[in-house]
Amino acid sequence: MTATSSTSAGRVYDRGYRRYDGPRGGRWAAVRALFLGSVRRALGLRRSWKQKVLPWLLLAVAAAPAAVFVGVGYVTRDTPAAEFEFITYRDYVGVSTALLLFVAVTAPDLICPERRQRVLPLIFSRPLTGRDYVLAKAGAVFAVVFAFGFLPQALLFVGQMLVSDAALTYLRENAEVLWQAPLSVAVLAAFLALLGTAIASLATRRMVAAAALLGLFLVSSSVSGVLVAGGDSSAAALVNVISLPLFVRDLVFLGHIGDDTPLGGLNGGGALAIACYLAVTGACVAVLLVRYRWAER
Amino acid sequence: MLRTEHLRKAYGSTVAIDDLSVDIPSGRVGLVGANGAGKTTLFRLFLGLARPTAGSVEVGGRRVAEDPVGIRARIGYMPEHDCLPLDQSAADVVATLGELAGLPARAARQRASDMLDLVGLDEARFRAVGTYSTGMRQRTKLAQALVADPEVVLLDEPTSGLDPSGRDEMLDLVARLGADEMSVLMSTHLLADVQRACDHVVMLDAGRLVVAGGTEDLLDTTGTILVEVDGPSEALVAALTGRGLACAVSGGRVEVTAPDADAGLDAIRDEVSELGLPLNSLATRLTSLDEVFVQRAPR
Repeated sequence: MTATSSTSAGRVYDRGYRRYDGPRGGRWAAVRALFLGSVRRALGLRRSWKQKVLPWLLLAVAAAPAAVFVGVGYVTRDTPAAEFEFITYRDYVGVSTALLLFVAVTAPDLICPERRQRVLPLIFSRPLTGRDYVLAKAGAVFAVVFAFGFLPQALLFVGQMLVSDAALTYLRENAEVLWQAPLSVAVLAAFLALLGTAIASLATRRMVAAAALLGLFLVSSSVSGVLVAGGDSSAAALVNVISLPLFVRDLVFLGHIGDDTPLGGLNGGGALAIACYLAVTGACVAVLLVRYRWAER
Repeated sequence: MLRTEHLRKAYGSTVAIDDLSVDIPSGRVGLVGANGAGKTTLFRLFLGLARPTAGSVEVGGRRVAEDPVGIRARIGYMPEHDCLPLDQSAADVVATLGELAGLPARAARQRASDMLDLVGLDEARFRAVGTYSTGMRQRTKLAQALVADPEVVLLDEPTSGLDPSGRDEMLDLVARLGADEMSVLMSTHLLADVQRACDHVVMLDAGRLVVAGGTEDLLDTTGTILVEVDGPSEALVAALTGRGLACAVSGGRVEVTAPDADAGLDAIRDEVSELGLPLNSLATRLTSLDEVFVQRAPR
């Protein structure tokens, strides 16, 4: 250690370069670090309060229906309103557009600046591959969307259980929800995460990516709406991109496509829905892998 | 430390690296070449971020093609261009990149702090990188390259965009790193930077090797001896010319071209002695790396 300067108040040392001989993780440690960093960024952690507002506001919006239903159920537990019914867990999976907005904001925020500000060469100079990057980024969006989708479901379930006359009976009678709800939310979260990150990977500006994603939702649902306007069941309902995970959700909860959907009653509708879901998610994975094949250029 | 053998990298019809075989030793090595000489491509090949069209690349005795991810864990890299996330602080950026290199979170934070100290970023480390000057960004880029304590660090034009004092400080840092058991490969198009900070130099031109060797060794190869005597030098010039040595008088000194430096020095000593001329100085002229490059690069 060399003293480089001193004053009456103290002394400044040039400690020089020091070696590191502590533990080192490998590739998975890098993936985990990138995943956790992306989750923190998505939630606005270690960022200014402005960046914290949106994610937590959207979580509040997503959870609000559950809180309201549980609250009403609690207040009227002794004098139940005749027409009051709790929202079903199936309906809750797709009830809020907050998740769509969240993905449209978050996925571009995790992907676009790193491309626009040319951070990727720094990231890929670490022990990571393009596939690792895709896994960490899409995984982070999935994890946060899943949490935002599942927490309200958990709130609804616990609330209903506590408000019911016999909590254990409620739990026993609704035990299948314990796997149906998380699986359905996972189906939705995986779809949104892959679609969001894939579209974001094609743009360098966040606004462009967000607009493209929301535009896709809007245009596909409008086109689908026009095509199935007659009211009969039609495979044209599959054109609506955002309905694809909800059709799969129906298969999880009901074992068939819900009759209240434009695909309900169509022969082979379930298989078609799964095929379209897999085709879209597969295409998204392919886009992402091609965009980040850094090590093979 | 770094080695290439008959390395070729082509992008379509554009050849970036052409039959490059070079052994880059440990220590401070300068990679010199004009823009487009293939320096950045060579870095990408060392990092395993590009595949050779032909030939092989080794880092620390291991072939990059066999384990590019493992190789990257041993290398620090400072790109030439702007590459820092502008909305994050230097402390966060360097710590995050430390974690991506495999350091535990706490160790990455501590190392980030140490490296930012080392490069001279003090309190500013907690400000957003977007508010930094070019010099501060270069320092941050250097800190992130060092944070995981790599065996070798690749610095792509580290003095680019710096003012003279910033450039001096950056070169001082590079020189200090090379003295700390870490190998440094610094690319630049400024030969003076290499001459000042590096022990070895590798010169590229259009993807081909021009020359590689110790900086001092290359500087010794001018074949020119400078003689300064007290008094008129015509007699000395005539005598040396008579011995078959080409001479020219410049600035009061005699420049003697001697293919064999030792024989030339002996001849000059003998003639000066015979002519009884007071000898003020006798030295082999050291060329600059610029001259070495100009002499050896193919036209």
